[in-house]
Amino acid sequence: MAEHNEREERADSPKSKRAENADRNEHMAYCSDLEELQVVDFALVELTLYLDTHPMDMQAVQQFNQLVQRRQRLAAAFEMKHGPLLQFGHSYSRFPWQWVDTPWPWQV
Amino acid sequence: MYDSQWRDWKPYVSPNDPCPPIRVKWYIVPPNQFIPYQPMNLPQFPLEEALRRGTLWPALYSPFTSRRSVKGGKPNG
Repeated sequence: MAEHNEREERADSPKSKRAENADRNEHMAYCSDLEELQVVDFALVELTLYLDTHPMDMQAVQQFNQLVQRRQRLAAAFEMKHGPLLQFGHSYSRFPWQWVDTPWPWQV
Repeated sequence: MYDSQWRDWKPYVSPNDPCPPIRVKWYIVPPNQFIPYQPMNLPQFPLEEALRRGTLWPALYSPFTSRRSVKGGKPNG
């Protein structure tokens, strides 16, 4: 047991703790940005399905277009910060190529 | 029932049943069964909540809570 604790202590040296905090903050930032995008995306899905059967609902169309604008802003900000969301020309990429980087949304 | 969407029915229990009888069966009839055509301008959830609840409109919200807690007894009690 002692040996186990000792190994643990070495792992908690201050330097890795600071790096750990940075990772955790980055992870939390990624999750909150992603969730913000998911909130708007879900509303867009709901409105799309609704508008398929209610093409004359002007208010819903206005809400839909507002959300599309907001979604485009959120996605652009997300991609600048965390890398491309889509592929095959639907998103930019920095150098070096970012598409293969982790984390993928389902890993987070 | 705590939630108006729940209904129950009592299956026939025969003395020859091999397994212990399930006396009450519970099922949900979601609100979309009662709305043939969704009216316009229904009230909406705030977007964050809509994501959590799974629908944009409270009128169509149908929580499928575990029956154990909803009825307080054993499921299929």
